[in-house]
Amino acid sequence: MTDGRFSRQSFLGENAQGVIERAVVGLTGLGGGGSHVVQQLAHLGFLNYRIYDPDAVEDSNLNRLVGADNDDAAEGTLKIEVARRVIKGLRPRAVVDGYAQRWQDTPEPLRDCDLIFGCVDGFGERRELEACARRYLIPLIDIGMDVHVVGDEPPRMGGQVILSMPGGPCMFCIGFLNEITLAREGERYGDAGARPQVIWPNGVLASTAVGLAVDLLTDWSRSLRRVVYMEYDSNAGTVKPHMRLQYLGDEKCSHYPLDQVGDPRLN
Amino acid sequence: MRVRLRIPRGLYARVRDDLARRHEFAYERVGFLSARLGSAASDRPLVLLNDYHPVPDDQYVDDPTSGARINSVAIREAMQRVLDAGTGAFHVHCHEHRGRPGFSSMDLEETPRVVSGLRVAGPAQAHGMLLLSSDHCVAHVWMPGSDGPVVAAGVSVVGYPLGLFD
Repeated sequence: MTDGRFSRQSFLGENAQGVIERAVVGLTGLGGGGSHVVQQLAHLGFLNYRIYDPDAVEDSNLNRLVGADNDDAAEGTLKIEVARRVIKGLRPRAVVDGYAQRWQDTPEPLRDCDLIFGCVDGFGERRELEACARRYLIPLIDIGMDVHVVGDEPPRMGGQVILSMPGGPCMFCIGFLNEITLAREGERYGDAGARPQVIWPNGVLASTAVGLAVDLLTDWSRSLRRVVYMEYDSNAGTVKPHMRLQYLGDEKCSHYPLDQVGDPRLN
Repeated sequence: MRVRLRIPRGLYARVRDDLARRHEFAYERVGFLSARLGSAASDRPLVLLNDYHPVPDDQYVDDPTSGARINSVAIREAMQRVLDAGTGAFHVHCHEHRGRPGFSSMDLEETPRVVSGLRVAGPAQAHGMLLLSSDHCVAHVWMPGSDGPVVAAGVSVVGYPLGLFD
């Protein structure tokens, strides 16, 4: 069932719009990446959102925060309210449950989601979010970008999009997370300073993530059948499957076994 | 209360494959899924299905009036798994047609008796009955301490692709 607004995306399948409108999507982090994701989901017609971000808009966000303007920075508008405004502007009947806090502080609404977009900073945050998604059998699409400067070389900007499916390879299995990177991040905690961020890599990564979500829900391409780990190289202008996927053996995950799903318990 | 079920697609495929096997005399097959609770204290609890246990061929009773009747050994073993693992259990079978399936009057009369035994074995867990069709599924869920079942608000098949059944 499509109305005029969605007629151009009817190729996604006969029931695609219905699936899109029924799906409950969670977003953790509504900064440079998450604000792009929200905007695209609203354009696609998604109607059910659980969104988390404790922060308010600051002037330094306006180089990349889609939907925010000067007034938001001056008034300190919460990022969840900017996202709500973007969604409601396109889908007035959307249900937007916003939480101006860390998702860890009110996790129940996130567990209710059919799909989560992780737009968080840092490896530790990703580990926590993936652990939650695995425990409650929720697919997680993670996006992130970073800029590296080494010596006199031009800055290298890149990022990743990972689709982590319960039961399949996790971020540890594919080598994105490991104890060394987590430990190094822990040592740098509080000393990281402002991380470089610009708008266009977030747009590329968010678009890739939203495309994966739509394919996952509608199966329009009939080709999405295994873990996704896309590597973005902004300097080269490419998004391609990460080379580590070639060496991925077993498609099962030993880090998050299925017998550990559900609320934690003692027996 | 709005209860939703989730099942990994690999497990879902395993169930379908098993239920599709022909039996010597039973018209259809049944099995049991293990279940754990998520967000149990909220008004939107989750039932997470995480393992499957087929009913062996010799635990069916030859009864032409029923699609599939299982004996007391099959039920006792399901109760024992609930006791041993501390999980819930869902009786599952399949009606081979397209679209949203509906429990038959015999399903609604007899399967709750099996569920009542499972609830005695694991009163703190969710138990129930799951019915598949060739492209859909529905469930009735008995939550801990409830007087009777609720119809699941939805069943999600978690995998590639993501199946959302209301």
